[in-house]
Amino acid sequence: MSNFQYHRPTSLSEAFRIHGDVPDARFVAGGTDVLSHVRDRSLRPPALISLRRVRELDGIRVTADGATNIGGLTRVADLTSHAALAARLPALVQAARRLGSVQIRNVATVGGNLCNASPCADLAPPLLVYDARVRIEGPRAARELPLEEFFVGNRMTRLDPTEVLVAVVIDAPHAGTVSRFDKIVRVRMDIALTSSAVLLRVESGRIAHAGIAMGSVGPRPMRLRGVESFLVGRAADETTAREAGVIASAEVTPIDDVRATAAYRRHAAAVLVERAVRDLAGGAA
Amino acid sequence: MRVPCAFVVNGMPVEVEIEPGARLLDVLRGPLALVGTKEGCGNGECGACTVLVDTRPVNACLFPALEADGADVVTIEGLAAANGTLSPVQQAFVDRGSIQCGFCSPGMIVSVTALLRKSPDPTDSEIRDALVGNLCRCTGYVQIVEAVHQAAAQMQKSDSR
Amino acid sequence: MSARHVGTDTVRPDAFEKAVGRATYIHDLTRPGMLYGKIKFADHAHARILSIDTTRAAKLPGVRAVITAYDTPEIRVGFLRDNFALKRDKVRQHRDEVAAVAAIDPDIAAEAIDLIHVEYELLPAVFSPAAALADGAVLVHDVDPSGRPRTNNRVPVPTRHESGDLLAAERASKWVVEGTFSTPIIQQACMGTAGCIAEIDPSGNLTMWAKTQIPFLAQKDFIRALEQMGLRDRNARVIVPALGGGFGTGLDTHCYEYIAILLAHRTGRPVKILYTREEEFAYLSPRQSATTHITQGLDGEGKLTFRRLEVTQDNGAYTSWGATYPTVMLLPATSLYRVPAVKFDSTLVYTNNTYCQAMRGYGNPEVAWAIESNLDELAAAAGMDPYEVRVRNKNVAGESTPMGLHITTCGFGDCLDAAATKLGWNEKRGKQRNRRRGVGMAGLMHVGGSGRIYKADGGGVILKLDDFGNVNVSYGGVEMGQGLHSALQLTVSDALGVRPDKVFINPTDTGTCPWDVGTHASRGAFIGCNAAIRASAKVRSKLFALAAGLYPGEVQRNLEKLRKEKSDVPAFVVPSVCDPAAFDLRESEMFLRDAPEHAAFRIELGRMLRAIHFRGTEGTLLVEEAYYEPKSELPDWSKGVGNMSATYAFGAQSVEVEVDVGTGEVTILGVVSAHDVGKILNPQTLKGQIYGALAQGIGFALYEEVKTVAGRVVNPSFTDYKIPTIAEMNFPIHLEFVETHDPEGPFGAKGIGEPGMVPTAPAIANAIWDAIGVRIRELPITREKIIAALAEKQKRES
Repeated sequence: MSNFQYHRPTSLSEAFRIHGDVPDARFVAGGTDVLSHVRDRSLRPPALISLRRVRELDGIRVTADGATNIGGLTRVADLTSHAALAARLPALVQAARRLGSVQIRNVATVGGNLCNASPCADLAPPLLVYDARVRIEGPRAARELPLEEFFVGNRMTRLDPTEVLVAVVIDAPHAGTVSRFDKIVRVRMDIALTSSAVLLRVESGRIAHAGIAMGSVGPRPMRLRGVESFLVGRAADETTAREAGVIASAEVTPIDDVRATAAYRRHAAAVLVERAVRDLAGGAA
Repeated sequence: MRVPCAFVVNGMPVEVEIEPGARLLDVLRGPLALVGTKEGCGNGECGACTVLVDTRPVNACLFPALEADGADVVTIEGLAAANGTLSPVQQAFVDRGSIQCGFCSPGMIVSVTALLRKSPDPTDSEIRDALVGNLCRCTGYVQIVEAVHQAAAQMQKSDSR
Repeated sequence: MSARHVGTDTVRPDAFEKAVGRATYIHDLTRPGMLYGKIKFADHAHARILSIDTTRAAKLPGVRAVITAYDTPEIRVGFLRDNFALKRDKVRQHRDEVAAVAAIDPDIAAEAIDLIHVEYELLPAVFSPAAALADGAVLVHDVDPSGRPRTNNRVPVPTRHESGDLLAAERASKWVVEGTFSTPIIQQACMGTAGCIAEIDPSGNLTMWAKTQIPFLAQKDFIRALEQMGLRDRNARVIVPALGGGFGTGLDTHCYEYIAILLAHRTGRPVKILYTREEEFAYLSPRQSATTHITQGLDGEGKLTFRRLEVTQDNGAYTSWGATYPTVMLLPATSLYRVPAVKFDSTLVYTNNTYCQAMRGYGNPEVAWAIESNLDELAAAAGMDPYEVRVRNKNVAGESTPMGLHITTCGFGDCLDAAATKLGWNEKRGKQRNRRRGVGMAGLMHVGGSGRIYKADGGGVILKLDDFGNVNVSYGGVEMGQGLHSALQLTVSDALGVRPDKVFINPTDTGTCPWDVGTHASRGAFIGCNAAIRASAKVRSKLFALAAGLYPGEVQRNLEKLRKEKSDVPAFVVPSVCDPAAFDLRESEMFLRDAPEHAAFRIELGRMLRAIHFRGTEGTLLVEEAYYEPKSELPDWSKGVGNMSATYAFGAQSVEVEVDVGTGEVTILGVVSAHDVGKILNPQTLKGQIYGALAQGIGFALYEEVKTVAGRVVNPSFTDYKIPTIAEMNFPIHLEFVETHDPEGPFGAKGIGEPGMVPTAPAIANAIWDAIGVRIRELPITREKIIAALAEKQKRES
């Protein structure tokens, strides 16, 4: 670690310039995940470029068209304390409240949670059902893509090592949209055994729009398009909810791991989806 | 190659030369000899290393020391008054038997201190949410919750005087 | 001797320093010139060591020593001497220590470990007792400690019991239920990890700062190690700093301690080894797993007729105290409730899994899990209320059990009653199925007056008074958070007659404290306080005898001072020489019992001690000791007979749960924990022990399991080894303390450190049965097991 460097640029352009000089350097947000890998020598980057002092990347604002723009370096704690966010994007704030502990939320960032791309990432399912887009900037170009396409596989994203996730953009949900996030855990502070975000819009007793996303049931956080297509047009009732659960159970692709079995995750997927659909449909009807 | 790092800890400005990859925990326990903050897991799971950085509780074991540059850091050693009088939180922990082996206590007390600054009269549910990242193996937590309520009452009484 | 301070809610003497972050744990200690040690572990379950290459590690700047079994003296470890500090020839478990490094800082030491290269030839391995007992199974140990060839993997630690006529009892039973129950490996999970500092002086004497609960037995082990290193007739001094928890982790000496000693010897400098959390989970001895096959019978009147238990334990690769769990299992096996016929057999088998050590409860929770779950199943078969069955079979004072345990004081009945009434048993049992809610209970008995497992079971206390009336207390037991120092402080205050703020408990140090067998079996306060009471009596006796001739002069001086001030001088003639029996000492003041209630006749203790000390050639100090051995027997383990404790603790827990049949989550709605404690010494420390044990019992029941794959721990962190957080302890808890005033206990108190976690798991399982009609027999009761059990129940019923 004798020549290891830790940089703290105050602007994105400075960050890209440093990265240009040290091409194998890694960008870090909270730094928590990466730093522990550097210390146990499982990662050996020549330098880390911390983005925490890049002010332009931090903050929650609503743009003129009503979209919510969350800077990549926004701390998860700031999601939970934001006055208006809980009403605008309830499932996201519920997920933020259940992420880790107070100590973790004070350091973990939205961008970090997404770029780690763990299949269990708490913020992913709600952002997926809100059809979030990620804005990515590199030294020479910027691009935007749907979050669903951002996740490629287990801890793999479309982010190039020279790029930074600068913001997550969520268009204002339609009027009448209801949503929620649920997480099954062993003890209260835990990685999700299974998690779900469900979003519905009910019109005249029928489901007009549905968004279902789950975590810890596949290599990446996933939209359950099969459940969504089933739901659209159906009556917002018990039977629909139960069948949605059954379809969810078949659509997910969980594995056995140290936390839970695939069989349990399939079972839990059905329960979470059924309950969320039933409760949201009941509330929205 | 060591680099400088300067911040305020418990009200005192400090400047140290550190390895760039050092954690705030290492700097506190090492060159600053503030060994009250403990390493329980090194992984952000147990909260024994909780300190305040710019009023926010964080796990010092996961906090890069250089990120504390320019910040205001408070550790367990900074809670008692200059004349040694325990803070209301510390006194409540002592009074209620909320400390057994004591290893989790510094982090727990710092977390409670942050909670009460933010939420002076917390509900049981708020207390549990605030302390879920502070593990204790000895006490079963019951007397810790009692201490939080006692400290809250004490602090409200002092504020109203 | 009145209890003025004993029994009152008193702040612990160690609370302040811990509240301000000034308590010094092994993690905080440094010694001049200290090096940091790190260990290279095998990371193979069973393999021959072909070669170890340490050259690159030795060359790393900052490294001061690299050692293996091939360049250090052999040190045998463990009471069966089947383990070695460093391994040669072959490794038998993932956590085998094959090399170690001492360096100037821990990061360099860790880097050096990575540079050590070991070549292995993998061997077939066995990971369960069944596999290890199968024909042709590979032998974990080819020879026994004396070098004789072994033919199987059985561990020769026979613990068994048979009494009464089992066949007749079975025939006389109206209902008989059998079942197999299992408990997993769990970890003590102290918040402060394991570690030590070893320092050898130029004469070859060792000082160890150790995270230990057995300073004196450790001293013995370390002296033996020094001998094996060629340092004969040397001393080992064990000093115990503040402990970040114990729970049994400190009941044995560990390979890492001997490695620290070897490194200290090699380098000539103090060496500190500290486990990271990952090392703690992966490489420190956890709690033994157990499988228990049980059969119990009930007669037509609901009386237990017989109990048969066969326990099989995975001993792991070497032998530590986990292998002696059956000795404590005998207690509930033979004596929990009144059972006229009992058979207990235990089998321990070497495997290539981790070896295990003590943890709170030491076999009792494992067997209680089987007995109390099975008892509910028996009650169900008989159509009887399980509370009623327990009451009909409860232990009573004055009886002797099949193991030969003399039940003296016994508050079991009151505890069972409290567990029922305070939870609302009659209103709730069998009446909340529609809400998936249920109530369950379980009883316990445990040692309450230590547990004799060694040729001596005593402990000594030295009381050293000084010229200022301070009382310095030296006791060889350890404060690990349980509140031992508080108990000693309150006891000495009342037994001696001094103010609590004048009582100071010295650090535990084999160099200054009298011998004690160890802080285990919930014995710390029982033994330490009994010794302190006896030592206090000696101090009072000597003090009063010495004061007899000096007290009059002191009082005269007081009276003269009053006369000069023209104050009222009370009328009383002080005898020129007093009768020592006429004195009393209370709140640090000495006085004649029949003297008037006036300050002139009360002499502050420090003043009296100075008068005794500074008498020219007659000067005397007050330093007294007492060694207390409890009245108990060392059992014959092969017969399972012997009254192993001076008294017994009883208790009961009842739990109300709600089960989410969709997710399998079990939510605890309320707990009653009722305990026969003999006498409450300090309410706040007693409650702390019960709450803490309850949390561990809940962890054992619902969340905790060390998971291994081919002998390797796959959840070595709090990320996937889950202990209860504050959010899990989110329900009302009613504590009930029954004071039976035990004649053997200090002020009547019984030991209470362990009982709180003994009945928790079966109480929860019994409540789950009441709620949803499924019986889980394997701990932990996870969501998956609930869902699977419900699915199976549905299949059976359709």
